[in-house]
Amino acid sequence: MTEHLDKLPFEEYCKTVFNKDTLAEKPECLKGYRVLSCTQYILGPCAAAYLGELGAEVIKIEVPRLGEPMRHCSPYNEPWFYPVSRWNPGRGTSPAFQGANHNEYFVTLDYRKPEAKEIFYGLVQKTDAMVWNYRPGTFDRWKIGYGACKEVNPRIVLAWCGGFGGFGPGRNWASYDILGQAKGGVFSFTGHRAGRASAGFPSKHTTWIMDYSIGMLVSTAMLAGLYWRDTVSNLGNYFECSQVQGSTRYTEYGLPLWGRMGIVRMRWGNWDTEICVNGICKCGLSSYPHSDHPAEQEEGYICVQAYTDEDFAKLMNLIGRPDLGKKFATHDDRVEAKAQEEIYPAIEEFLKDKTKEEANRVFSGAGIISQPLLTCREAANTEHWLERGALGWYDDPYYGDVFTQKVIYKMSETPPRLKHVHRPVGCDNEEIYQRVCGLSSEQIRELEAKEII
Amino acid sequence: MSDDLKKEVQEAPLLWPLNPIPTFEEVYDPKICTEASREISTVFEGWLHPKHEMAKPEALGKIRVLECGHGGLQCNTMQGGGYLAELGANVIMVEPPGGSPIRKLTAFGRKRYMFKDNINGDLCGGTFLHECRNKQSITLDLTSAEGREILKKLVVHADVLIENYAPGQFDAWGIGYRQLSKINPRLIYVWNGQKGQWGPLTDQPGELYPSSPCSSGWCHATGLPKSFGGTPLRAGERADDILCGNLTAHATCAALIYRDNVSGKGQFVEVTSAEAHLRIHDYAWGWYGVDGSSKPRYGNWDLAINIYSVNPCKDGYMMVGGGHDRLWYRIWKTVGKDRPELEDMILDEPTLRVVIDRVGHDQQVKTLVCLTDWMKDWTREECRAKLLEEEVAAGGVSFLDEVAEEPHYKYRGMVRGLDTAHYGKVLFCGSVFYGHRTPGRVKDLGRPVGFDNSDVYRKLLGFDTDKLNELYTKGLI
Repeated sequence: MTEHLDKLPFEEYCKTVFNKDTLAEKPECLKGYRVLSCTQYILGPCAAAYLGELGAEVIKIEVPRLGEPMRHCSPYNEPWFYPVSRWNPGRGTSPAFQGANHNEYFVTLDYRKPEAKEIFYGLVQKTDAMVWNYRPGTFDRWKIGYGACKEVNPRIVLAWCGGFGGFGPGRNWASYDILGQAKGGVFSFTGHRAGRASAGFPSKHTTWIMDYSIGMLVSTAMLAGLYWRDTVSNLGNYFECSQVQGSTRYTEYGLPLWGRMGIVRMRWGNWDTEICVNGICKCGLSSYPHSDHPAEQEEGYICVQAYTDEDFAKLMNLIGRPDLGKKFATHDDRVEAKAQEEIYPAIEEFLKDKTKEEANRVFSGAGIISQPLLTCREAANTEHWLERGALGWYDDPYYGDVFTQKVIYKMSETPPRLKHVHRPVGCDNEEIYQRVCGLSSEQIRELEAKEII
Repeated sequence: MSDDLKKEVQEAPLLWPLNPIPTFEEVYDPKICTEASREISTVFEGWLHPKHEMAKPEALGKIRVLECGHGGLQCNTMQGGGYLAELGANVIMVEPPGGSPIRKLTAFGRKRYMFKDNINGDLCGGTFLHECRNKQSITLDLTSAEGREILKKLVVHADVLIENYAPGQFDAWGIGYRQLSKINPRLIYVWNGQKGQWGPLTDQPGELYPSSPCSSGWCHATGLPKSFGGTPLRAGERADDILCGNLTAHATCAALIYRDNVSGKGQFVEVTSAEAHLRIHDYAWGWYGVDGSSKPRYGNWDLAINIYSVNPCKDGYMMVGGGHDRLWYRIWKTVGKDRPELEDMILDEPTLRVVIDRVGHDQQVKTLVCLTDWMKDWTREECRAKLLEEEVAAGGVSFLDEVAEEPHYKYRGMVRGLDTAHYGKVLFCGSVFYGHRTPGRVKDLGRPVGFDNSDVYRKLLGFDTDKLNELYTKGLI
């Protein structure tokens, strides 16, 4: 087998070991680990979902009946996946819930009810890791926080994630993704500066990136904790990851620059402060002038990268401005603000009579790196993503054919995989409470009737 | 150190903090916080405050990582390696002789924004210093066969190798996963890139951020709609390299667990930033699947939640969030204290009464125009104080000077200065991994080129002074 792989050209080799059609034939990375997800919205749920993709048994606990709030926020109130639960057949779950809850089991439990405590401790006893994102102190007030959990299960790895963290002057502040972006700093230097393409608004990132990306780090913390437990200490652990801090952690040279020079990193639009040419340029023509979608009617955009001396000279010749090629021959010359203000408009002048596809053909033909800006619809139909299994249609056992994001990365031996996008609220009460907690069907029905689960 | 340089160090103090860091007594003053709140917070503080971190073990203390991501200007391996190093792994950065080209990057090419090495006077950019925390720096010429032989010897001692060279480059050089796994079957080999090392849009040599968010629909969906005067936007920071780094740390930890618990063997991992963007692009794909919709740009508002947006106020931009009834009515109660007519206008509007009815575009416009009409009279801090009274999540868009001075961040040690051996005092953001037993931590920031050559090559490969000198002379390290 390996000999055969050794002889393949590199690309074929990658296609073989990362083949999306053979995922199910390979072992799962985290098989045998159980994770409790006491979470809502995105930040906590996605941290658990990443582990679920790797094969951990993730049990998501929601409030009985309606489930968590993220199920109920849908863009324009338009797309829904029915039903939200067997108690609410007329309502649906939003696609926003999908990406953050892959492969999980869905149970319900009302933590505040006294009867719930014992059930919860039962779950904690048989769990390897747990994540929650209620406001700091909430779980401790209900006596199900770290202090209580480590008494019940000294080997449990807990992770709390949320806005500002459990101690310090801002410990009671609530947070959301865009508050993280705003208060952490990345919001302030994303967007156009005043005077160019717009009035210079700072801009949010389109996705809930501070939720999803800090979720990756929360998930990493849990994995590191599990690794340390299983190979070093046999001890549990407690992590706290603050969303705002993530946003500040991503500011690159921003803090060193302020701390030493007293200079505040500011917005620089679609260009790059440190490398030139590396930016997004406007093409003059739309690829879909007759579309009824406003974002498709508008002009196309293309990302151009020609930052080595050689590539830059080539690009300037291509756009008919060899003078600029000579004027800004070195990296230091062209990365200056004034130089960028001459170079990018010259490129846009050249692109004035082209669509992004034409521009891409011209650049590629000349050996310049370029990437047209794809709309979400175009990305969803890009062969590359479908072939690699990053996006695609999925025959979900509950919701039928759904189009969805699939796995976060590729592994040759224990690849992450998608088993179901999510399930209705309380769908697995029977399965989990029987198998894990040893409750009988009758007890489960009784608890459901009392809305404890 | 020459006298001139000594003087320069003294004259480059940290301009931080401008205001003193709050003390324990100030934060938990009984006048401003309840007994119960103080009690629980001090428990958290005892478990988690970074001031205790150096006395605790490190989760990945026994792991060694080779970070070979410095052949070009992609910054993704630097991020992933940084997180692993915060968690305690011994991360060895392998740079080309002369140093990583990323060291030279500085905003607008301005040398005055760079950090000067007190000892040899070399300049280093802030990004490199900030991200290369806790790492050892060695140099090695991977373009030469002899250099690659040395890398193979280092791989024997490594658990993880991370690289971001052009697709297939390492394989062609005889140091790809196929070859290295024969030398060290326990090796976890992670490739980082923009769009992938196979498939129709395979990365071109030299491809950088932000090509990946452009190819995933992310840039097209960021920014204001054209009708509002906007265009598609990239993130100010290298969001895609950062995501790729986050997932590299994640994949590495997962593969280590599998290796040490189950298989005893490493594996080949591929992490790309475009796929990270696709994976986290919230409802875009599910929505497309339902009715073919293409997620549009919606500026600083959110298509799925009303109110969850950033809008102008008196001195900048202000984030307010509260989509469901509990918070929604608190927001309007706050507004109503100053502008009762605005509160009435919202409460009287029948189409704004039910949560899911509020996300229509007209409803968003109506809501946010009213909210902004109230906010325009108040500064970010005033708006925030008023909204916090009602426990609404709110906050101004902060510039980095304000972030650096935020008392909460200073108190938690999240923003702090580190006295580095070569670059003087540097302000940085601490590790995200606050932990009880194995906290992440920052022990050092980026180091000078080849700083650890002697240490690493002697310790791992047994090279002596003669051998090292020979390698220096040949230009291999």
